[in-house]
Amino acid sequence: MDDDFAFSIQTGSAEPIYRQLIDHVRRRVASGQIKAGDEIPSVRDLAQRLAVHPMTISKAYSLLEAEGLLERRRGLSMRVAAQHQAAMPADARIALLRPVLARAAAEARQLQLPPHTILQLLQDILDEDDTR
Amino acid sequence: MNAHILATTTPTADLRGLQLAYTGGPSVLDGLDWQLLPGQVVGLLGRNGAGKTTLLETLLGLRTPQAGTVQLFGQPAAQLDDASRARIGYVPQHSDLFESFTPAQLLAYFQSFYPRWNSAKVEGLLSRWDIQRHQRIGKLSGGQQQRLSIIRALAHDPDLLVLDEPVASLDPAGRRDFLRELVEQVLERGTTVVFSTHILSDLERVAFHMAFLRGGRIALQAPLDELLDEVRLLSGPTAEVQALLQRLGARTLKRTPLAAGQERVLARLPAGTQLPAGTRAEVVTLEDLYMELT
Repeated sequence: MDDDFAFSIQTGSAEPIYRQLIDHVRRRVASGQIKAGDEIPSVRDLAQRLAVHPMTISKAYSLLEAEGLLERRRGLSMRVAAQHQAAMPADARIALLRPVLARAAAEARQLQLPPHTILQLLQDILDEDDTR
Repeated sequence: MNAHILATTTPTADLRGLQLAYTGGPSVLDGLDWQLLPGQVVGLLGRNGAGKTTLLETLLGLRTPQAGTVQLFGQPAAQLDDASRARIGYVPQHSDLFESFTPAQLLAYFQSFYPRWNSAKVEGLLSRWDIQRHQRIGKLSGGQQQRLSIIRALAHDPDLLVLDEPVASLDPAGRRDFLRELVEQVLERGTTVVFSTHILSDLERVAFHMAFLRGGRIALQAPLDELLDEVRLLSGPTAEVQALLQRLGARTLKRTPLAAGQERVLARLPAGTQLPAGTRAEVVTLEDLYMELT
């Protein structure tokens, strides 16, 4: 169960840890890697595993619950809410990726890099990940 | 109702109007106010020489300020009774462990001072952190001595844990072990923790609140999540930036004049603020905040 979540966080980021966790769960649910009924690690487990303050974890879980991605069950661990049976359609997943690429595009423009260079870079990065 | 709220939120540490200067020197603490509430884990950030160690020693009642008051668990820090003293754990920057003792002797010695002593935890940590129980402390590595100092501070299950650069001699794996132990403390006991270090990534993980020490005061204390969400670095013509900040009801944290009537302002915006399109605003990291606010 735990490996399905493969939570990781980056320190030194402008993105607070609780939002990194939220985005992580959103992506895993959108891709269908985790789905309705899957239990997520408890606040305690994840706080210890990541060595992160438990309030940071519970803040992320509460917001995911408010968003309808997770559901809380009295006395049991939280799980992915019932409506998330399968991977989201491609356009919904694209919508999740768009803000990151928009930010990358803005920074690339500030650096005055030509579009083909940027696209080639993205291609290279995608290829690197494939071989891992 | 108010009385009830006040009664349940007696700060673990309550520092008011602290004034402290060393003989012939400038003020190190200059009208400093600071509160640590039960269960808070606060990262203390400041440049070298800003007075972090002085502040922590004053908080513990080890230094007497020229003016101001320090209360721990609702009692004056200078006249703390034994029961309250036993609720504090302290890892000093330079721990002076008795070098001719072995870890086993040292811990047995300290155990005699405390009404509560968590032997299971002590044994577990000694084993997990690979500390030779019967080797002379003087022969242990710097990292092992630091771990021993941490074990000593945790052994009596303190309610307030004061950590002054506790991980300076630990390697990344050792630091991660230590952070896990800290999270465990918070989960098990709701320990109040103050943690001073220059390793910002450690603070980012375990410290929910950050306190920035500058000019002898706590210039800002807030949850890091909120700071990353709400603080922006804005730049532009001074008049425009000021008008915008006023309109948004933002709190200015730092202003830096730039050339040609422009300025850069570090400002905390009200939660959920949408900046008008075209505003030159950058998000910030903890390191940015450290550079700007300490």
